Amino acid sequence: MTDIHQDPGAATRQEPGATSRRVIQEFWRLRWVAVAVALVGSFVYWPIIDNFRVSLTHQDIFTGETSPAGLENYLRLTEDPVIGLALWNNLAYAVISVLFQVFGAFLLAAIIEGLGSPRARAFWRAVYFIPSAISTTVTGLLFYFIYQPDMGLLDGILKGLGLGYWSRVWLGNPDTAIYAIIAMSQWQGFGYAALLFSVAIQKIPAELYDAARMDGAGALRQIWSITLPMTREMTGMMVIITVTGAFQVFNEVMVMTGGGPNNASQVLGTWLYEQGFNQNDMGYAAAIGSLIFAVTMACGLAQLWLNARRRVT
Amino acid sequence: MRLIPLAALLAVLSTPLAAETLVADPAAPVTHEGNLRVMTKFGSERLRPYFETLAAAYMAAHPGVTIELIQEDDDSVKAKTKTLLASNAMPDVFFSWTGTWGGNLVRGQRAVDLTEVLDSDWGKTLAPSAVDAFAYGGKKYGVPLYLDAKFMGYSKPIFAEAGIEVPETFEDLLAACDRLKAKGITPIAVGNKSPWVGLHYVGQMLAHDVPRAVLEADFDPATATYTDPGYVTTLNRLSELAARCTVGPEMNGIAYQSALQMLSDGKAAMYYQEIIEFDNSASASTVLKPEEFGHFILPAPKEAKGDPMALEGAPEGYMISTASENVPLALDFLKFATTPENGKLLSAPPYGQPSAVVGGADPATMNPSVVGGLQDIAEASYLIQWLDTVNHPKVATAWLNGSQALLGGTMTAEEVMEGVRAAAEDAK
Repeated sequence: MTDIHQDPGAATRQEPGATSRRVIQEFWRLRWVAVAVALVGSFVYWPIIDNFRVSLTHQDIFTGETSPAGLENYLRLTEDPVIGLALWNNLAYAVISVLFQVFGAFLLAAIIEGLGSPRARAFWRAVYFIPSAISTTVTGLLFYFIYQPDMGLLDGILKGLGLGYWSRVWLGNPDTAIYAIIAMSQWQGFGYAALLFSVAIQKIPAELYDAARMDGAGALRQIWSITLPMTREMTGMMVIITVTGAFQVFNEVMVMTGGGPNNASQVLGTWLYEQGFNQNDMGYAAAIGSLIFAVTMACGLAQLWLNARRRVT
Repeated sequence: MRLIPLAALLAVLSTPLAAETLVADPAAPVTHEGNLRVMTKFGSERLRPYFETLAAAYMAAHPGVTIELIQEDDDSVKAKTKTLLASNAMPDVFFSWTGTWGGNLVRGQRAVDLTEVLDSDWGKTLAPSAVDAFAYGGKKYGVPLYLDAKFMGYSKPIFAEAGIEVPETFEDLLAACDRLKAKGITPIAVGNKSPWVGLHYVGQMLAHDVPRAVLEADFDPATATYTDPGYVTTLNRLSELAARCTVGPEMNGIAYQSALQMLSDGKAAMYYQEIIEFDNSASASTVLKPEEFGHFILPAPKEAKGDPMALEGAPEGYMISTASENVPLALDFLKFATTPENGKLLSAPPYGQPSAVVGGADPATMNPSVVGGLQDIAEASYLIQWLDTVNHPKVATAWLNGSQALLGGTMTAEEVMEGVRAAAEDAK
């Protein structure tokens, strides 16, 4: 039989080496995240740091020669007229995308989720989601034919409606090229955003709507007073994703116009590519990369801060 | 929305290391073992089988060799090359244009010096002018595979129906356009969504308006001034051509493939194209049949101050990477690709790429227009290279953007040249 003694100081007294064992155990637990940390560090954070290093140099892609440039590449950003144009195009992309892919998609999701028949809801969700399942390259080709002067579907419809004077060289006109690309992007991204909002709306307790109906609230009032506040976090997240995505856009512009005509549809991503891969100016391309990072980071932080202030619990 | 490709960003972020220049030894023994990576510009459906056939035949003859083909097209090969350069992953054999493009690869010590090999007996089997086009600093770095030049392809039935003869001067061409337009036919189909299409017109017309010595001096970043009045003359002539012969600014929204299709479908009378596209414009499967297809050199104006006999074009070929671990094997594959038999295969339909191999073209198996085009290349007084590959990249971009804006009606000739001069100054 074992004699058990109560030791009043046991709670505070520690065995020799207990602290170091605990520290080792804490570190040992971190092994579960070590792989993820290493991967994120190697493929996300290190490239960001290295990009900044490259932006402070002149690099020749053919010779591999590197020479220090100081802040010269960043000063060029302020003098390059295409940077201003690209920023404007990215901004237009962001504003129009937020209108359509956040607020428009929210309204669409609210309408779809308000339908009585589950089969009808599933049908309309699928209808709006299908464009998102098509690759950008295929969509680009599809819209190239839609926008084609004279023979294109868009001009055909306009002429059919007696609006032939609205006909344009949509992708070849500096005034319309970027907006034609943005329109294609909305067509493609709208349904995906609506699907995400549908998921968020489905999580709202039905009792809230029942109570609102008993109080005499109509459909619009229910959307305004229940659906909108209860999906605020999703809305905030969608705004962040949409805005940061708008500043990193690349494929759509590359496939549709390559940034032309005469740089009219350049965005920061395509201008980075042009400088790095066509102009052989990797240092300046890296400086543009830093600008994209700074803009998207600022947008993301601002949105997170706003969301934290407005969170509904 | 889709984001900037990771590969592109990683390439921007990596620090490339240049390899040492190597000199190929014609006497080096070939060990037919190992892998060979070959990057071609034959990625289109029509051309892709050529290198596939070659690789299969070479591997069958040498079972120890595995050839990996990287087949790109005209646009993607530029980005692919630079991505591979930045990541130090150049294939053993890779495509190159002549001019500044090839010059940059040589400057970066990315291409093996093939002078001794090309001066040997095998080198004499290649057209000397094509070999010389890949010479830099007195040394030869490229193996020309085919000759290329730009011609106006036309539909003989449409010309006959409109009662038009092949124009001998630029003024004749404009008059022919007026006549075709009056009959409701699109005279020249142009798809300038990719701006090099319009720039190819500029290149040929500059040879007519600007003296050769001035052009050559302006192509060199160290001496470029771009002040000759002939430049503005050319651009103004191009504007007139666009107004009288094409659909006008709409061309900037049309892809070049769509424009080529208009000629092939018999919906346009002419299309300005490379000789390597002849077999694409007219074939057994197109409305326009090969015997109905004709070609002529874009004619010079009556008062040409440049060279009216000049032709726009250049050979295209392949280089061997200094990073290659098996240069003799890479060279052996290029020798195989340039045998007279493989040259004849390349020159004949469906490929229609006139081989740079002496005796590598058999008129009996080739499209008659390709044979005629080769004759024109041989008779040309001067081959002016493509403006987008002969110029410094900054100057090339100014030309591309400016000519597209000119054809879109948003810039004047003077404004385009201001942009070119500013880029040339920047490139110094």
